[in-house]
Amino acid sequence: MSLQKIDAKMLSTMFLAGAKNLENKKEWINELNVFPVPDGDTGTNMTMTIMSAAKEVSALGNSADMESICKAISSGSLRGARGNSGVILSQLFRGFTRRIKEEEIITIPVLADAFDKAVMKPKEGTILTVARGASEKAKELVESGTEDMETFLSAVIEHARYVLSQTPEMLPVLKQAGVVDSGGQGLVEVLSGAFDAFQGKEIDLTFTAPVSIGGGVSRSASLEAQAEADIKFGYCTEFIIMLNKTFNIKSEMDFKAYLESIGDSIVCVADDDVVKVHVHTNDPGLAIQKALKYGALSNLKIDNMRLEHQEKLFKMSEKENASKQQPEAENKPAEPPKDYGFIAVSVGDGINEIFKSLGVDYIIEGGQTMNPSTADILDAVEKVNAKTVFILPNNKNIILAANQAAELTTEKDLLVIPTKTIPQGITAVINFMPEQSADENEENMIQEIANVSTGQVTYAVRDTVIDDKEIKKGDYMGIGDKGILSVGTSVNEVAKATIAEMVTDDSELISIYYGSDVTEEDAEAFRAIVEETHPSCDVELQYGGQPIYYYVMSVE
Amino acid sequence: MSKVAIITDSNSGITQTNAKELGVFVLPMPFMINGQTFFEDIDLNQAEFYEKLATGADISTSQPSPEAVMNLWDEVLKEYDEIVHIPMSSGLSGSCQSAMMLAQDYEGRVQVVNNQRISVTQRQSCLDAKLLAAKGMNAKEIKDFLEADKFNSSIYIMLDTLYYLKKGGRITPAAAAIGTLLKLKPVLQIQGEKLDAFAKARTTNQGKSIMINAIKADIENRFGGDTEDKHIWMQIAHTNNEEAALAFKEEILEVFPGYDIHIDPLSLSVACHIGPGSLAFACCRKINV
Repeated sequence: MSLQKIDAKMLSTMFLAGAKNLENKKEWINELNVFPVPDGDTGTNMTMTIMSAAKEVSALGNSADMESICKAISSGSLRGARGNSGVILSQLFRGFTRRIKEEEIITIPVLADAFDKAVMKPKEGTILTVARGASEKAKELVESGTEDMETFLSAVIEHARYVLSQTPEMLPVLKQAGVVDSGGQGLVEVLSGAFDAFQGKEIDLTFTAPVSIGGGVSRSASLEAQAEADIKFGYCTEFIIMLNKTFNIKSEMDFKAYLESIGDSIVCVADDDVVKVHVHTNDPGLAIQKALKYGALSNLKIDNMRLEHQEKLFKMSEKENASKQQPEAENKPAEPPKDYGFIAVSVGDGINEIFKSLGVDYIIEGGQTMNPSTADILDAVEKVNAKTVFILPNNKNIILAANQAAELTTEKDLLVIPTKTIPQGITAVINFMPEQSADENEENMIQEIANVSTGQVTYAVRDTVIDDKEIKKGDYMGIGDKGILSVGTSVNEVAKATIAEMVTDDSELISIYYGSDVTEEDAEAFRAIVEETHPSCDVELQYGGQPIYYYVMSVE
Repeated sequence: MSKVAIITDSNSGITQTNAKELGVFVLPMPFMINGQTFFEDIDLNQAEFYEKLATGADISTSQPSPEAVMNLWDEVLKEYDEIVHIPMSSGLSGSCQSAMMLAQDYEGRVQVVNNQRISVTQRQSCLDAKLLAAKGMNAKEIKDFLEADKFNSSIYIMLDTLYYLKKGGRITPAAAAIGTLLKLKPVLQIQGEKLDAFAKARTTNQGKSIMINAIKADIENRFGGDTEDKHIWMQIAHTNNEEAALAFKEEILEVFPGYDIHIDPLSLSVACHIGPGSLAFACCRKINV
């Protein structure tokens, strides 16, 4: 006998299973990114978004009604949303749950209608195309009189997979890179996880902490989720392989597949001559034996997670108490709010300092490697005592989360200046005029950021072809506002060629912010080269301290 | 009809030679260079001044001595019935305050105008006063007219550096806080009493377009729009930056075709506070008589 309807309890289980499945595939989805840059990835962003909702759903327990589950899914994911894909996922959930929250039991027509409500105007070849495909299929199935829920779900997901497989045909950039859309893949993983739960498959709902640098909201969420669930694989095993033979994509996939057969929560990141490995398994010995075939091991760490379980619960309650006490300690007499405040998303001590010296009130640490969530932004807005707060996302993958925060902000005006790069953010805040109205400032800043062109130099994490340029793993790339400007094997040559692409006859100023991996000496030498190559421009060199990007440069 | 003389100080940018041509009197502002007192346009010219500024000489300004002021007034009153005295803005110097005090002993024959102008707009006030006197107004009437008209002017100055302004302490905290790490070109504004930060630019071209847009907005919002009769005076001032000033004039004419644009070097007592390389764009509404 198969179920024909979904009740509240089933919805909750299906949602958690979908979240879990997305988490399992996170690293894999990360690798579907078109740009081979070591940055904030789709898989991580979508997982952190859904984890925020999963935390709220699991906190409701087993007897919650449809409406509270829907509310938990919707508000949890909206607040936890980070990255463009995360924000879109949260909006899909919102549309979906809006439709079903009034029902006690979800039937096929309700489900089809909810899919329809979730869909937004799609850009071909993205997560939205996949969502629309699923919704159209659902409608078609209802019209053709499908009555079996399992058949219905299976057909919808199969069609979503098919649309996903077609995304490279819709977006040339995907085709060239030889990948499907990563956000679409994420959505398919959520749906198939949920479907597994519907079919009654045994699903391990142990959530592991997403691998992240900085940021914190959803880390504790997953900690709680983990604490609440049973632990299936008992040993958290971590080590680094110092390679003594080649470890190519094929060996990486083989090794991952092996790890998947003995555990979960797998991280396997290969750098030039080391591989970092993380796995939860019941038999750490097997993972170690396999790894020894590729080289010597270092930094071994094996923890018994079942024993730690109790400690974690203890720590969590401690932490909660601490956070309850903090607001009281910080309670200061309220000062009258100032007219304008600024929040910038920034990374690197040098760049943070520049923003502060320009009058930015609050810095959200984040950017390329860590996209802050809507909730992180809302927290920051809370801390800035101003009537109107401008936010500079400084990354194209954070703008949507900032917009979402603006919609959720009620007591202050939050204005998003859609800066896509750090130099755009710097230009925006420089052009702020305290005596003008918020609208005039917004208009003026948006106009000024259009005059800044940005180039950023980093390294490629895998082989690919993009913008007709062949890129090998480990190559350096200069990424401009509209794509790759230069590729090569020397940082300075690539940076120089990138600037040459950006400079026009009208250019006056070249600004260079050098990252934490560049010495001051090298940066000065590079400045000298740029000054010599572009004698008509002023060249300004500043310490940025940003990770991953050797040089962030702008021409205006 | 009473015979009215117009007196200003050298901050107006009117040189001793110009003064004779225009028929006004100019009180030279004193300033101290390494402890020695010089008088602008009397015993130190622009070129010598910037040379000394570049060597890091310790330069400060002061207001004219009461003796110098009264001597000039007494001398002028031998020939004229009344004086209209137009000192630099009371927001930037104590000269105006002192002159008003000294004038109390002249039984209304000396009228001190407190209209908060400086440089090219102060110069325009002198020309306006001259015109009003020719129309038959007495000193008191001219003073009242000019004071009522004081807010019909606007100045924006783009500095090449904040160094001199900080050194002299003649800047509001808001303006001093800008541009600490990055090399910025601050744009300051003078509206009435205050000299304050208006905007910041990273390049000269950005700074120039900020000033042009600001004047454009002032004309539209405060001075009745850019009308056919060109009822606005426009001026450029600079510190040791004449070539840039001439180029700026051409750029302004593209936006405001058909206007007469007067160019002056900024007076030295302003220059010693803002340093060389600055560029200013000013406008004032033509008086209606």
